[in-house]
Amino acid sequence: MNIYLPIAEMSVSVLLFLGMGGVVGFLSGLFGVGGGFLMTPLLIFSGIPAAVAVGTEGAQIAATSVSGAIAQYRRNNVDIKLGCVLLFGGVVGSLIGVQMVKILRQMGQFDLVIALSYVTFLGVIGSLMLIESSNTIRKTRSGETGFGRRSGQHSWIHGLPFKMRFQRSKLYISAIPPIAIGAFVGFLAAMMGVGGGFIMVPAMIYLLRVPTSIAVGTSLFQVVFITAVTTLLHATLNQTVDIILALLLMVGGVIGAQIGVVAGVRLKGAELRFLLAALVLLVCARIGWDLVVQPAELYSISPLLRGQ
Amino acid sequence: MMIIRAKFFSQIRRPVVLALAGLALAATTAGAQPAKKGPSPAQGAKAGAEIVEADVSSRAIAVTSGFTGKEIIVFGSIYNGRQGAADAGYYDVVVVVEGIPAPLVLRRKSNVAGLWMNTTSVNFDLVPSFYALSSTAPLDKIAAPEVFEDQGIGFDHIRITPRHAVPEAEMKLYREALIRLKKNDKVYVQNQSGVTFIGRSLFRSSVMLPANIPVGLLQARVYLFRKGALLSTYTAQLQLEREGLERWLHDLAKKNSFLYGLLAILTAVAAGLLASEVTRRRPS
Repeated sequence: MNIYLPIAEMSVSVLLFLGMGGVVGFLSGLFGVGGGFLMTPLLIFSGIPAAVAVGTEGAQIAATSVSGAIAQYRRNNVDIKLGCVLLFGGVVGSLIGVQMVKILRQMGQFDLVIALSYVTFLGVIGSLMLIESSNTIRKTRSGETGFGRRSGQHSWIHGLPFKMRFQRSKLYISAIPPIAIGAFVGFLAAMMGVGGGFIMVPAMIYLLRVPTSIAVGTSLFQVVFITAVTTLLHATLNQTVDIILALLLMVGGVIGAQIGVVAGVRLKGAELRFLLAALVLLVCARIGWDLVVQPAELYSISPLLRGQ
Repeated sequence: MMIIRAKFFSQIRRPVVLALAGLALAATTAGAQPAKKGPSPAQGAKAGAEIVEADVSSRAIAVTSGFTGKEIIVFGSIYNGRQGAADAGYYDVVVVVEGIPAPLVLRRKSNVAGLWMNTTSVNFDLVPSFYALSSTAPLDKIAAPEVFEDQGIGFDHIRITPRHAVPEAEMKLYREALIRLKKNDKVYVQNQSGVTFIGRSLFRSSVMLPANIPVGLLQARVYLFRKGALLSTYTAQLQLEREGLERWLHDLAKKNSFLYGLLAILTAVAAGLLASEVTRRRPS
C-alpha cells in the first residue's frame, strides 16, 4: 500500500515507513535514546530529501518525548527553571540552525554538511560509548567497581557572572553555560533533525554538575519544546515538515518502543550500550562511505529556491 | 511573526508568476506553430488536406493521498484521411504529453580533498516537469531531425535553456544528465510504438502518469506526419489537481505555513499523549 507525501511530493510505501518507525522505536525503547540520530539518516537513505527528513524528524521526536517528559515531571525530575534557561538558549540556537539550513540548501551544500555532521557526531559518540561500555563490561567481569563521580569540584564555570539559583538541581551557577549549551543543542536539533539529548544529558551532568536523574528529566522537558520550536520554524521558513510522514513514523515508533522497553529489561546496561555503539558506528561508516566513494551519478536535480 | 509571514508571501509569489509565464509561453508557442509550419486547419480544409483532432480520456485527474499514478488515453482521428486500413502505415502520429515547465537547478559533484561534493551548477528557468513521447514508429523513421527540432519533439530536441550562458560542450553534458535523471525518475518516458491505429482514421495512445508526476496543467500535443512532412497538429489539455486531505495539507503548508507548523506540533503532542495513555492503562 502506498501513500502520497504532500511535502516530500513522492509516493512511498506505508509499510516501509511504519516499519522504519517501528525499528527505530524499538531501538529507542531498548536503549532509552530518542532515536533522531538514527531516523534522520535512515530517512535520507530511503530517498526522502535531506531537508524534509530533518524538518519532519523534529515533529516525530516531539511526539516520542512528550510521554517521557510527563512521566519525568510526575517523578519530580524536571528542573523547570533550568529547563527554561536551556530553552532560551535553544530557541536562539535553533533560529540560527534553521537559517543555516535555508542558506545551505540555496548553496546546494546541505546534503554535504548534514553528512559531515553525522559522520562527526556519530563517530565521536559511537567511539566514546564503545570504549566506555567495553571498559565497564571488562570491569564487571573482573569484579572491580567503577569509580564514583567526583563532586564538589569548582571549575572555571563557577567564575562566570549572572549567577542564578536552580533549587531543584541544588545549583547556584552562572546562566551563561546553560544558555550556551541550550543554544548549541538547539542549533544541532534544527540542523540535524535530532532531539539532542545525547549531548544535553552529558553536558548537564559533567559541565553543570546537575544530578543525573534531574539531567535526564530536564533534558526530556527541553527536547519537547525545542523540537516543537524547530518544527514550527522549519514549517514556516523552509516548508520541509511532512505531517503524513511524521504520522507514519510516530505510529511505528510508539509500537516499536513498547516492544523495545520489554526487550531491554532482559539485557544488561553496559552490553546494551556496546550494541548501540556498534550500531551508531555502522550508520556513521555508511554515511562516510557515500562521501568518499565516487557516486554512480554525479549530477542531481533540485528545485530552484528563492534567492538563486 | 509578521516578518516571517510577509517574507514567506513574497517567496511564493515568484514561482507562481514564473509558472504562469511558463503557461502563457507554452500556450502561445503551441498555438503559433501549426500556423507557421504545417498547413493551418483553415487552409487545409479548403485543399481537402488532412487535419488531426484529438482529446484525452480524463481532463481532470485528482491527486489524493492514495494517488499511485494513472493511465490516460490520448485518442484522435484524421479528418480527410486517406489511409486504406488501420495497419497500412500511411500516416505517422506522434503524441507528446508535457507537464508545466518549472525552474530547477542541476548540480554536478566532483572530488574535493577526498570528498564528493556539489561543485558546479546550472540554473534552468523552464524545464518540462513531465514529458511522455509516444509514436507509431521510431522518430528517425518518421521525419528528419530538423522537423523535430522545430517542434521541440523528442529528448534530443526538448527546449531546455539555461538561465545564464554555458559553454556548448558543458551544456551538452548537463543536458544529457538532466534527461537521464528525469528518465530515471520516470517523468521522461518514450514509447516508440505507443500510438496505434484502431481504424482507418482513428488512433489511440496510452500514457502512464506516474505517482511522482508534478501536479498542474498537462498538454497533450498530437502531430500528424506523412512521408516526413508535418501535416497537422492538435493540442488538448488536462489538469492534475490535488484533492481532499492531500490538497488541504499542501495548501496549508504553502499558504499558511505558521498554522501548518502549529498543526504539526499539535499532532505530535496528541500522538505522544495518546501513546502514553494507552500504555499506562495496559496491565503490566
